[in-house]
Amino acid sequence: MQAFERELLTLLPRLRRFARALSRDAADADDLVQVALERALKARDQWAPGTRLDSWMMRIVRNCWIDEMRSRTRRARTFLPEEEGAAIGSQAHREVEIRAELHDVEKAMNSLSPEQREVIALVLVEGLAYKEAADLLDIPIGTLTSRLTRGRQALAQMLEAA
Amino acid sequence: MIDDETLMAFVDGELDDIAGARVERAIAEDPALRARLEQQRKLRATLAAFYGPTAEEAMPERFRAMLETNIVDFPSAEARRGRPMWQNLAALAATLLIGLALGRNLLMPAAGPIGIADGTMVAQGPLAAALDTQLASAQPADAATRIGTSFAAADGRLCRTFDSAAMSGIACRDADRWQLMMTSAGSRGPRTDYRQAGSVNPLVAEAAQELMAGEPLDAVAERRARDSGWRQR
Repeated sequence: MQAFERELLTLLPRLRRFARALSRDAADADDLVQVALERALKARDQWAPGTRLDSWMMRIVRNCWIDEMRSRTRRARTFLPEEEGAAIGSQAHREVEIRAELHDVEKAMNSLSPEQREVIALVLVEGLAYKEAADLLDIPIGTLTSRLTRGRQALAQMLEAA
Repeated sequence: MIDDETLMAFVDGELDDIAGARVERAIAEDPALRARLEQQRKLRATLAAFYGPTAEEAMPERFRAMLETNIVDFPSAEARRGRPMWQNLAALAATLLIGLALGRNLLMPAAGPIGIADGTMVAQGPLAAALDTQLASAQPADAATRIGTSFAAADGRLCRTFDSAAMSGIACRDADRWQLMMTSAGSRGPRTDYRQAGSVNPLVAEAAQELMAGEPLDAVAERRARDSGWRQR
């Protein structure tokens, strides 16, 4: 194993945690990590040694998740009528219904918008500094803090009520 | 008065010493604020308790196997290495030609969004009009040029990021024109649910962060700046 792979291996626990917070499902999270690892290994020469591998990897995980969500939305649009019956709404809604036994935290995370969820995952779960998280997401700090504030208010409200 | 955003920044350890001390003083004097602080700390702790164990769970063997054997093929790297030199040169030449053609088009007087004035690259035509008048807070969804962030640069000039099908970039206001500080490929593709309308090309976002002094203008400040002709502050 080369240094690149060794460093990836030590990052895996954090990547899984981040993936879990993004996808809110253990199986989805591990599939997501696998896809991200494949992408990282293929794109290894795009990583500049000396820069932070953790941010680079988390960005890949996040991009893979966005791709996954897009293809799910497409699938849902294409196959919904036969497979699911006409009455079912959004993908997120369906997920909640299928998994009846969800932890309160997962329920609360499900209620957030994708943008809020990813800033919560980066800052509150992964402990990134605002600047790091904003750089990773390519958004201004002000956008980050407002998403963070709104996401937290929603989470706190959901968890108080639970 | 400590707002939620400041309180959260305090909990996250993002405040500098002075601002942090101010929050601490306010907390000591205000039980309601203390309760809000506790709520935020509790939320952090709840999330940590829930997601923390994920990092300790046994790692699926397939991940280690992937990294050890590295059985992912490398089509991109292989393809690059295998390509003869002349192909790279041909590609380079083609790029130069495209660049020349593009440059000629863009620089033709009054034809494209870019003009040259006194040796600097400036916005013209509809781009200049959008920079002059369009407010990020109130722009039509189908506007040809979208304004992203408006901000004051370190040199005092007001600058705006923009994005259109052809080009995205940053323009800063001189006395009577918009100097183009940087331009990049346009990033306005089809909008998806996920992608925010205002999200910009990462290169532009990065350059804007570099130029920016302080925080971006909010909607009120943006309107005020426009109404006063984007004069320096």
